[in-house]
Amino acid sequence: MTTLTLDQMPSMGAGFARALMPSRRTQAALPKDAVTVPHLRQDSARLADYARVCGFTLRDTVPATWLHVLTFPLHVHLLGDPAASVRLMGAIHVSNSMTLHHEVHITDPLAVTVHANNLRAHKRGTLVDLNGAISVDDQMVWEGTSTYLASGVTTPGDPVEISKTPFVPHTPHATWRLPATLGRDYRRVSGDPNPIHTHTIAAKSFGFPRPIIHGMWTHARALAALEGRIPSRHTVNVDFVKPVFLPSSVGFQASADDQGVHAAVTSKDGSKPHLLMTVTEALMEHTTPSDVSLTDR
Amino acid sequence: MTHNAVVIGGNRIPFTKSGGPYAHASNHDMLTAALDGLIARFGLSGMRMGEVAAGAVLKDPADFNLTREAVLSTTLAPDTPACDLQQACGTGLEATIYIANKIALGQIDVGISGGTDTTSDAPITLSDPMRRVLLEASAARSLGQRVKPFTKVRPRHLSPKAPSVAEPRTGMSMGQHQAKTSEAWAIERSEQDALAVASHHNLAQAWNDGFFDDLVTPYLGVTTDTIMRADTSVEKLAKLPAVFGGPNGTMTAGNSTALSDGAATVLLASEEWARDHHLPVLARIVDAEVSAVDHPGGADLLLGPVAATGRLLARQGLTVSDFDLVEIHEAFASTVLATLKAWADDDYCRSLGLDSALGTIDRDRLNVTGSSLATGHPFAATGARIVPTLAKLLHARGPGTRGLISMCAAGGQGVVAVLEAV
Repeated sequence: MTTLTLDQMPSMGAGFARALMPSRRTQAALPKDAVTVPHLRQDSARLADYARVCGFTLRDTVPATWLHVLTFPLHVHLLGDPAASVRLMGAIHVSNSMTLHHEVHITDPLAVTVHANNLRAHKRGTLVDLNGAISVDDQMVWEGTSTYLASGVTTPGDPVEISKTPFVPHTPHATWRLPATLGRDYRRVSGDPNPIHTHTIAAKSFGFPRPIIHGMWTHARALAALEGRIPSRHTVNVDFVKPVFLPSSVGFQASADDQGVHAAVTSKDGSKPHLLMTVTEALMEHTTPSDVSLTDR
Repeated sequence: MTHNAVVIGGNRIPFTKSGGPYAHASNHDMLTAALDGLIARFGLSGMRMGEVAAGAVLKDPADFNLTREAVLSTTLAPDTPACDLQQACGTGLEATIYIANKIALGQIDVGISGGTDTTSDAPITLSDPMRRVLLEASAARSLGQRVKPFTKVRPRHLSPKAPSVAEPRTGMSMGQHQAKTSEAWAIERSEQDALAVASHHNLAQAWNDGFFDDLVTPYLGVTTDTIMRADTSVEKLAKLPAVFGGPNGTMTAGNSTALSDGAATVLLASEEWARDHHLPVLARIVDAEVSAVDHPGGADLLLGPVAATGRLLARQGLTVSDFDLVEIHEAFASTVLATLKAWADDDYCRSLGLDSALGTIDRDRLNVTGSSLATGHPFAATGARIVPTLAKLLHARGPGTRGLISMCAAGGQGVVAVLEAV
């Protein structure tokens, strides 16, 4: 695998459009190359807006989910590659995992690299991983994997099951009221242009009666609810169980045990899960990715 | 049973000019950032504080529980109680007195005081008539009743109301009030500019010496106070036009505090608690007093602290010359100079009910690491900036050295405290 270097983050352009257009091919294919932006400056005004929309306090150090947001345009760029047949439009974000190895300051210049891999057959299509890695001064500070289910494309092999995280209903600790405008607010701070989050017609064409909030907003909001209660270096695993329609009210609950903090965004009464989250302390010695460095493949 | 309430230390974020690097930060964000640094410095993560008291002068109505919410955003134990307290520009010092008193009475062992203010993210509210229309509509029981109040809305009701710094009873701003005081006490322009320059030079020297290394943590990429001008001079300040007191006024943008953003916190404990936890003991809070003058009746608005100082010194059997260091909050350079003149004025002090003039101090004991002119003045934060600064300075001078803090506040009020190095 080679690495394509970009001078700056790709903007909402042809790459985005291509990444959203359906592909005619039915065999799942991914771009071979990794894409990197070696010098990315963070924008504190945008971070402030992101923090406001997601419920974070604006600190000198940034939330892990903010770093995911910074990798997002590269994911889109990657899947806009002509070699790729997996499309973001219609793909379902099923799970996400990220690790903040070191605290990242808003002033830190970042090197951001992404690549796609790990195609697995699934009974409803193909599972694919979009991986991101961020380093500061050549030290890995963050890495994340977003797993999507792409329908309409197939890949050879026996279908895999997505393992189900156990869920025990509880009375929620909190109720969050999600306004109809939330999809537009999160689109502004994330740059995610997918219209199923903002327009009823687009949502209906994908089988949803109303727009659904971005899974990564729900993820960020849940992480923000745990501020002060999780280690500064952490691994957070999330399963997106069921989409949240806009507007709506949802429940939130969290508990801690020896393993870490477990949280759930649920229906308002706490009976059904929308998102399940586990946060554990990041292992100190794990400062480089377990697989080979992304840029060397 | 009374205890020694002592200052263990403090933490603040660098202060900046309004609309600058903290333009997008809220009071919640800044207070949390200042607390984060304090918690990290003294290893308070996971600990329950007896109480946290802090406030903001310009406060968004959504921040009705500002301090408690900030505490919940930190790694302090979530069962740490907190309250908001507001005493205009004296907020940070009043909050410190509140916590210190509880410690002295044995009600708590350890607590945090603080303050935050932003003039960048200041609350803007609806005009009063518009507010009444909305309240009436929300109380309505039928659609007809709900619509009716809106027929009273006029275009002029739609313009939002920015918070004002004018005194409600006089309609005059702080600067206009102080301009009257400057004239009445014959405070020269050159003296004011010299005091402002000293403030900038003292602050810059303290930063150069690393004095603030254990008092400040960076925020949003800002590492030092940005209002500070190390290279300013009386010649440069002499060129600035008057902004208060008319064309012949003496008060300029250079010798008045700038609108600022920032937050500051102080860690206080009983001496026993501090020693049990192997934490530094810098100085004890000896005593404090608050006073007010009849400014709607014509008294000098910002000379409120003089009466408090006189009564406090009398109670403690001290004179101003007993203090090794004096911190007079620089709302305006002219405020500090008028305060010093008032201390020395027998007739004025007697008019406040004091026995005699308070005396004079060596100017080299005044605001030795700079004050609000150079640092900036995020209203509620300033008291919580001064307390740890003074405690650290006194501690370096040795046990028994004393310091005095005098702060003027809106409404003709003054907050004064005495610290003594342990």
